[in-house]
Amino acid sequence: MTHFPLRRTMFTAASAITLFALTACGNVAGGATNSAKFPNGPVNLAVGQAPGGSTDLIARAISEGASKSLGTPMPVVNKPGANGALATKEVAAKAADGQNLVLINASLITITPLAVAAAEAVNIDDFDIVAGLSQDDYVLVASPASGFKTIKDVVGAGRSVTFGTAGVGTGSQLAQAVLFKQAQVKGTDVPFDSGKPALTAVLGNQVEMATVQLGEAMSQIQAGKVVPLLVFSEERNSFLPDTPTAKESGYDVPVAQYRAIAAPKGTPQDVKDKLLAAVQDTFKSDAYKDFNKKNLLTPKEISGAEVVTQWKDYAAKYKALIEKYDISLSGKK
Amino acid sequence: MDFLNPVLNGFVVVLEPTNLLYCLIGVVIGMLIGVLPGLGPAATIAILLPLTYNVEPVTAIIMLAGIFYGAQYGGTITSVLLRLPGEASSVVTVFDGYQMAKQGKAGTALGLAAIGSFIGGTASIIGLTFLAPVVASFALDFGPAEYSALALLGILLVATISNGAKTKALIAAAVGLLLATVGRDVFTGESRFTFGSLNLADGIDFVPIAMGLFGLGEILYNLEERHRAAKAPSKVTNVWPSKADLKQASGAITRGSVLGFLLGILPGGGATIASMASYAMEKKRAKQPERFGKGAPEGVAGPETANNAAATSSFIPLLTLGIPANATMALMFGALLIQGVTPGPQLVEQHPDLFWGVVNSMYIGNILLLIMSLPLVGLFVKILRVRAAILAPVTALITLLGAYTINNSMFDVTLVVVFGIVGYLMKKFGFEPGPLVLAFVLGSLLESSLRRSLLVFGGDPLGFFSRPISAALLIAFVLVAVLPGIRPLLAKRKTAATGVDDTTKIKETV
Repeated sequence: MTHFPLRRTMFTAASAITLFALTACGNVAGGATNSAKFPNGPVNLAVGQAPGGSTDLIARAISEGASKSLGTPMPVVNKPGANGALATKEVAAKAADGQNLVLINASLITITPLAVAAAEAVNIDDFDIVAGLSQDDYVLVASPASGFKTIKDVVGAGRSVTFGTAGVGTGSQLAQAVLFKQAQVKGTDVPFDSGKPALTAVLGNQVEMATVQLGEAMSQIQAGKVVPLLVFSEERNSFLPDTPTAKESGYDVPVAQYRAIAAPKGTPQDVKDKLLAAVQDTFKSDAYKDFNKKNLLTPKEISGAEVVTQWKDYAAKYKALIEKYDISLSGKK
Repeated sequence: MDFLNPVLNGFVVVLEPTNLLYCLIGVVIGMLIGVLPGLGPAATIAILLPLTYNVEPVTAIIMLAGIFYGAQYGGTITSVLLRLPGEASSVVTVFDGYQMAKQGKAGTALGLAAIGSFIGGTASIIGLTFLAPVVASFALDFGPAEYSALALLGILLVATISNGAKTKALIAAAVGLLLATVGRDVFTGESRFTFGSLNLADGIDFVPIAMGLFGLGEILYNLEERHRAAKAPSKVTNVWPSKADLKQASGAITRGSVLGFLLGILPGGGATIASMASYAMEKKRAKQPERFGKGAPEGVAGPETANNAAATSSFIPLLTLGIPANATMALMFGALLIQGVTPGPQLVEQHPDLFWGVVNSMYIGNILLLIMSLPLVGLFVKILRVRAAILAPVTALITLLGAYTINNSMFDVTLVVVFGIVGYLMKKFGFEPGPLVLAFVLGSLLESSLRRSLLVFGGDPLGFFSRPISAALLIAFVLVAVLPGIRPLLAKRKTAATGVDDTTKIKETV
């Protein structure tokens, strides 16, 4: 939690520089936005999640590196609400000058729209994606009391199972719903408020299984208190090399959390270039590489265009999957 | 002694200079607002919640806890010296405390209250230290079913035990439950009562509600009161009570500690009820009850011990079960959530430094308060000279600024204003905001746990009785719900059998 004081100093620095920038602008006639002058004061990085979560930590790691390259503060502004839709929509409506960015979770684009009303969904076409960041894998864990050691045990159990999810419209829910349909396992989907309480429920054997993000479950996996059955990434996760993927086990359900930095649609190319250069500088730094390792994140540092294609592909794929298996994420089966 | 290791580590946490400083700040603020009538600990904590956002969780809670028990000390001072209870929990102290002051024994009264508070508080911390790990050892047995039963019991107790009109408390609790349903349904993703606003998609945040109802609402309500100029307080001499006084009060202090501890744990209980129950108990026990109201030392020592013991022990249900026992604890709950810590049975195990740091800070805080309340009494009384016309706008401004900083959201500020007006109107028409806030907190817990358990049980409600803890809690729920109905019958039978004494005893202990 050491980042709190840091943020405060950044805010102070930010306001000081804003003041300075404002006085400087006074001398320039017109003062119209000129992309050559980017960055013109602090660059805000909005996060749709509360401080302390993995999305927030990633934003802070990026801001630390990128603010150095840009030579301007990059305060992280948390505005939690509606899975991040609140902050994301707010940034989409801001001026496209690169001064306001947002860190988007892929699930907001690819999965949440399958569960919520159309008006609450976020459209990726409202943004210019600066760069993709990393991949956060989901792992299916079982309680030791359930007796499940592999996914085969679950399939062979021949009974109805209970599984916890991180909530409606999350990758955790989608991944399990599709997996169990494909494996023809009957199960009850029990939504929790987030991954942590779902994991706690597995620890206490309140539910037999749950799918949570690897970072949340790792310490309990290592302590032997939960058993990892499979990961939902397309390839094995380097932090959990002995756990098979869903694909290897014969199931077509590639689900992971991806994250990217986005600016409002129509941001000038040279501004985007400057931002991209700053983010790429961060990717190269040891501090950021260590951060990824420590938080069990797999780098997925792809271009903005690739992010858009991949996320749209995933969105289409998930939509097709739930239609094929007649799954409703909102529990109205 | 493995058990003691985390306890000792907790002292290491407390003794960090930052934490010591925040503990001091907390108890000083607590003492100040305890002296000021009107602004209570709940309001102060609500207003100061956003300030704790930038510090470590343990530091934040140490400070907020300090405000809470510090206020119990402060409330005594004005009760004794000015016949002006600073806190609801010090109302009964006025009866004998002010009389003692009139007899020139103000120092003795304050000294007894401070010593009693210290002993009561400390006894409760020791109880907390030993009880919490026991409850926490059941941590993983607490599943959705147990939480639903616990939340149900909590709401019932809050509505039935809280002081004031029962019907109004129930109405307020019902509104709280209703507000808890706003937002996206966790189980279906359906939006409920959001009117298409993304701001409401996650439901209403607890903090703006609390800041509005307790903070702004109190400030507005206090503006209505005519503020009298501070009277010259009675002279305080010789705060160290004589041996005879101490001897007279020692029984009251012991009983007050136990009574306060027990009433503090009970949902809906807390400092106010504990102090009243202790006063009633002392008066009943006394050989010459007519001395009460005329400056009986037990009448000051008992309630003051009990309110502090209760203030401390009300942390037990919060820190071990995640169930707030009263409105102030609901605010602590909010403060922990802001810090990313969910109070519950896992707290002791997952955040031992936080748990023991907070618990042990109370020893330090109580010592600080004892030191402050004896020689510095005069200083604190001076705060009463600050005019409400200055105090009110400043606190209102801090409240609104603070509300913005939590989520960087203007919407939250609007919510605070709306709930501020609601809180003001509630006070004006005799509704307590406490049951509303508690039902709001417990309501979302109840709904999600209940639906989750029914999913796990495959829709069979009898499943609740298949688990020992949830079954026991539900039986307790039924007992509490039925008891008020059958109590008169029981009392009648007992009176017939054993005489009048027993009926009064029932009234005291419940």
